[in-house]
Amino acid sequence: MSTKITYREQDLVISLRNKDNQAFGYLYDHYSGALYGVIRQIVGELELSNDVLQETFVNIWRKIDSYDETKGRLFTWMLNIARNAAIDKTRSKGFQQTQRQQPLEDGEVLQASVRPGIDDYGLKKVLLRLKDEHRQLIDLSYYQGFTHEQIAKALHMPLGTVKTRIRTALTQLRALLS
Amino acid sequence: MNVKEYISSGIIESYVMGMATDVERHEFEAVCAQYPEIAEARNAFELALEEQLLTSTSQPPVHLKQLIEGKVLSTAVDIDVANVEPDEIQVRRIGPWKWLAAASIILLAATAFWAITTNNKYIELQAAHNNLQNQLQQSTAQLDTLKQEASLLQKPGIMMATMKGTSDPGIYATIYWDTTSANKDVYLMVNNLPETTSDKQYQLWALLNGQPIDLGMIEARQQRLLLRMKNVQSAEAFAITLEPKGGSATPTSAPLVLGKL
Repeated sequence: MSTKITYREQDLVISLRNKDNQAFGYLYDHYSGALYGVIRQIVGELELSNDVLQETFVNIWRKIDSYDETKGRLFTWMLNIARNAAIDKTRSKGFQQTQRQQPLEDGEVLQASVRPGIDDYGLKKVLLRLKDEHRQLIDLSYYQGFTHEQIAKALHMPLGTVKTRIRTALTQLRALLS
Repeated sequence: MNVKEYISSGIIESYVMGMATDVERHEFEAVCAQYPEIAEARNAFELALEEQLLTSTSQPPVHLKQLIEGKVLSTAVDIDVANVEPDEIQVRRIGPWKWLAAASIILLAATAFWAITTNNKYIELQAAHNNLQNQLQQSTAQLDTLKQEASLLQKPGIMMATMKGTSDPGIYATIYWDTTSANKDVYLMVNNLPETTSDKQYQLWALLNGQPIDLGMIEARQQRLLLRMKNVQSAEAFAITLEPKGGSATPTSAPLVLGKL
């Protein structure tokens, strides 16, 4: 990181809202690695991940006024922008043609396999310590963006069970993180 | 509400990670505003997640930073416009047919203006053209006359007699007598004759054997160079007298100018 200035999160938000280029440089240096990691774990492919990272930072810069501090931290807000952009990319026609990603269908479940260089860092590194059934549910809901209803149908599971297991998986994840 | 149970229900993680439904999200936000403990727990999970993701990263390709910064800076202008426009300017969507109608009206007005202007110009030009044509006709006629007169003056057999003033040498006129033509035409050039009163006119006479022969009336001011007079078969001299308007059968006054052949 070339920037010597460090920002308190509150000041960083104010500077970003004032369209301060230096603040943007700091934001990118500080957060791009974390956001890119999540994007890559969702999208996989390198070039498309680069596109998504670009979209993410453009949206952060554009929508910074709509960020509400009372609802959560700046990073949480940015992470959700990155995740949504990445999932949108995997839903795009071009992506599905090149990646041959199948829509989640009845009885057909993608195994949560570990891709070297992609799944061995960040949140996924922590998820490896979960039980397979929990990891699969987080993978389907968090990384692939499927709804509880879609997952229930695909896994032949009652909706209530899916919800309960996902909640359980998430509380376990929190335990692992803290 | 059992706060501890709520905190460990998984809703915090679901909310923070963006996996909650809209209903769950709104409910959680309301609960957070009401219970500081829950907001605190949310913040703790956010920090834990953030720390994990910030410490175990995948760095993007180095060239991306410049690309993204370029993109972001170029959108700065768009943002300003996008933020300002809805407040200050009311932009109405206009259907394509309205644009077409507006364009047609403008075209019609422009065409009408063009037609009126062009028509006015045409009328002006036509008037100017007619004027010029008239002038040309007059000039051509004058030129033809001058040519005829010039050819007459140059004619080899023409006889010339200057009638000089009998009392004032500044007063004079010239006779050109075409003796070669069958009719022996007589032409008069008025060089300088004084203005007459309105009741008087000049009269040209030919003199033969002491007898005056009437050759016609003359105005003092003449447009033409040569005036065609009455013919005379033979003459010894020519003279002009001042006569009452309409002329006399025989001269009533002494000749003003007189010229012998």
